[in-house]
Amino acid sequence: MIRRLGTGLAVLWAAATASYVALLLAPGDTVDILVGDGPDTPEIRARIVAEWGLDRPEIVQYVSYLWRLLHGDLGRSYQAQRGVGEILAGQVGPTAQLTLAAAGTGVVLAGVIALATAGRGRWARGAASAAELVAVSVPPFLIGIVLLSVFSFTLGWFPVSGAQGPRALVLPALALGLPIAGVLGQVLRGGLEQALEQPFAVTARARGLTERALVARHALRHALIPAVTLAGWFTGTLLGGAVITEILFGRPGLGQVAMQAVTGRDMPVVMAVVLLSAVVYVTISTLLDLAYRAIDPRIRT
Amino acid sequence: MRRLAPAAASAVLLAVLAGCGAPAAEQAAPATLTWAVETQPITLNPQQWSQNKARLLVFNQFDALLAKDEDGSYRPWLAKSWTVSDDGLTYTLDLREDVTFHDGATFDAASVKANLDQFLVPGYNAAVAAIQLRSFKKAEVVAPHRLRITLKEPDALFLDFLASPYAGQISPKSLKSAKDLKFGGPDLVGTGPFILDRYVQGQEIHYRRNPAYRWPPAGAAHRGPAHLAEITYRFLPEAAVRVGALTSGQVQVIEGVPATEVALIEKDPSLALHTSLNSGTSYSYYFNTSHPPFDDERVRQAFREAVDVDAVLRSVYRGTATRAWSVVGRRSPFYDASLEGSFGGDVAKANALLDAAGWTGRDAEGYRVKDGERLTVREVASAPFVRDRRDVLAQAIQAQVKQNAGIDFQVRIVDQGSAQKALEEDAYELFGNSRGDADAGAALNLILPAKAAINRTHFADPRVDKWLAAASATSDQAARKKLYAQVQRAAVAEHAVVFPIYVPADQIAASGNVQGLGFEPASGTPASAYDVRIGT
Repeated sequence: MIRRLGTGLAVLWAAATASYVALLLAPGDTVDILVGDGPDTPEIRARIVAEWGLDRPEIVQYVSYLWRLLHGDLGRSYQAQRGVGEILAGQVGPTAQLTLAAAGTGVVLAGVIALATAGRGRWARGAASAAELVAVSVPPFLIGIVLLSVFSFTLGWFPVSGAQGPRALVLPALALGLPIAGVLGQVLRGGLEQALEQPFAVTARARGLTERALVARHALRHALIPAVTLAGWFTGTLLGGAVITEILFGRPGLGQVAMQAVTGRDMPVVMAVVLLSAVVYVTISTLLDLAYRAIDPRIRT
Repeated sequence: MRRLAPAAASAVLLAVLAGCGAPAAEQAAPATLTWAVETQPITLNPQQWSQNKARLLVFNQFDALLAKDEDGSYRPWLAKSWTVSDDGLTYTLDLREDVTFHDGATFDAASVKANLDQFLVPGYNAAVAAIQLRSFKKAEVVAPHRLRITLKEPDALFLDFLASPYAGQISPKSLKSAKDLKFGGPDLVGTGPFILDRYVQGQEIHYRRNPAYRWPPAGAAHRGPAHLAEITYRFLPEAAVRVGALTSGQVQVIEGVPATEVALIEKDPSLALHTSLNSGTSYSYYFNTSHPPFDDERVRQAFREAVDVDAVLRSVYRGTATRAWSVVGRRSPFYDASLEGSFGGDVAKANALLDAAGWTGRDAEGYRVKDGERLTVREVASAPFVRDRRDVLAQAIQAQVKQNAGIDFQVRIVDQGSAQKALEEDAYELFGNSRGDADAGAALNLILPAKAAINRTHFADPRVDKWLAAASATSDQAARKKLYAQVQRAAVAEHAVVFPIYVPADQIAASGNVQGLGFEPASGTPASAYDVRIGT
């Protein structure tokens, strides 16, 4: 467990360093970025250099950057001229809400469809797997636009955006959750079908267990291992997809901040978002390791 | 039961009639409105403002000292009158005496001085201190509502500053106490018709009416408080989503209507479309004259002649774009109309010019060559600044110059850093740009003089520098117009360093019952919500 934490910290350090190096390697220098499209005179440049401490050697800037990170100081945004921590603090909530809702939607949909179709007739399986394929292969942007045109612009059931409580969350959560439901559904059904053909399933049936009880008590547990492994993958999908979903639906959140920061080359914000994503990743994969132990007692030893 | 029906009907009728007695009250009832905008403000402090697309928010919360008119003249706003000394160095402002900030503080000469002096604080706004306020020396309170401003040298653009978002007056108390001065927010208060009460980054910004407001700029459509009790601006960066939100009635107004959606909106009788040309410079290609092939004036002219601009604009913008003839936009009072029709679309002339310039050979792909070199020109554009389908426009021009004159026009859209690098290394032949400055002269000062900050043509003509300097020093509008006309003729006709393409415009689409939408006269950007109301 301690080793697991150590690796986690190493990953975080690597993420912090990698984003710092990316900043150094990126074309154009920081002063250009800060000047942006505004007026540009030598005096303005000199003032900017002094203000941001850009005249110090790169290694000193790097060490002081790490030092500030250790103290929880993420720096100041070039563009918004505000503390990065402050900018992100207000955006974590909406993104957490969206990604959790999307993950929930994805998992529930996948579970329901897999349980309903595993081992059933060709027809049900074919339909489910076609739907899953569509959900996976259509880009979330398009899913979002289609959902909006149908359920918001035409039927008027759900608002595009705004502080309208859970109603405003339905379409974005669906847009972001459908691809996950697609992949997860495939894997879960595959796992279930495999498990149902195992010798233990035959034994259980022989003991007189109903098919439903067999699936719920035994097969599902087997099918869950690959599905849980996938959870690591969909953390990434969710964080990436949140960018598009938030912009499309005009929702506040980290994705939308990241997008604005990348196009405006607001590096302190970009770096903080990278770091935060790394923290989420490390946390989730650690939790998953723990989950494996709960699901499969063999891993515990 | 049946017998009761007439009684019930008359009761309903009575209720309806009673309702009819009250339409006046109903009309006066406070109204709310939601407006979807494309761009999020990066700051809510007017003195840090830098985005033309966010200008429509500024004058909800803040008032400037003067208002600028379409013809370049000025109207009173928070300053009810002003005088300029004969030597152009002393400005005396007489301020309104009935103005209060949203925090209850009184607006007076001391508060204007505090706002001006704030710009002198190092690190507050280096750009404005160095450009707009370069000639500012000091401000003195002569009387409670009279302020004397002294300049180091005459500067015709100083009044432009007083009418810009930078002159948005902030309560001196909140200049000191605001939690985040540079970003602003509800704790950075002004005197404007609306009070900012909520900003949710990435989602919306919400204002409520300032009930005490009675100091709009001279010439506003009404006096007294704003019509709307509340207004919400919602950020929807996707054009298709904005249009969908409007057609489904979820928002009442949208800003930024793409050319592809204009027809849809014009067809819908329940919607109205408002368009206004922007001030400043037109969207133009600037030729880099520092190296071949555009160091040769004939090649520059040939490029312009090889493009049928009207056809290109028709296909890219479906007839919604206005062709530009000068580097100065058509909306500006300094626009030189004599340049109209002076270039473009003469393919035979383009080919003759290129032949004369020595680009006589052709390679396998049909491009012109000279001394074994292909006639290649590159445009490097920074992705965050590519808007208005300018990428598609470039492709259309690319096809035309290839087909009509054998020019290989390469378009690269890259990130801001790479674009900056290409500019520094002089690795470009074409540069596309438009500027939204309310005073076109301010834009020309940045583009054309030999040592100007964004002189990317490397064009140098001492006469142009002299005319521009003279135009900046005088406040005589007629004299300025004459000088700027000379500048435009030199840049567009004589040296052909610039290829004006179209005049940028702003569009607003709204439900038919939204009245009073308009544009700021000088900038051409959407106006604040002060005059907006719902009704017929």
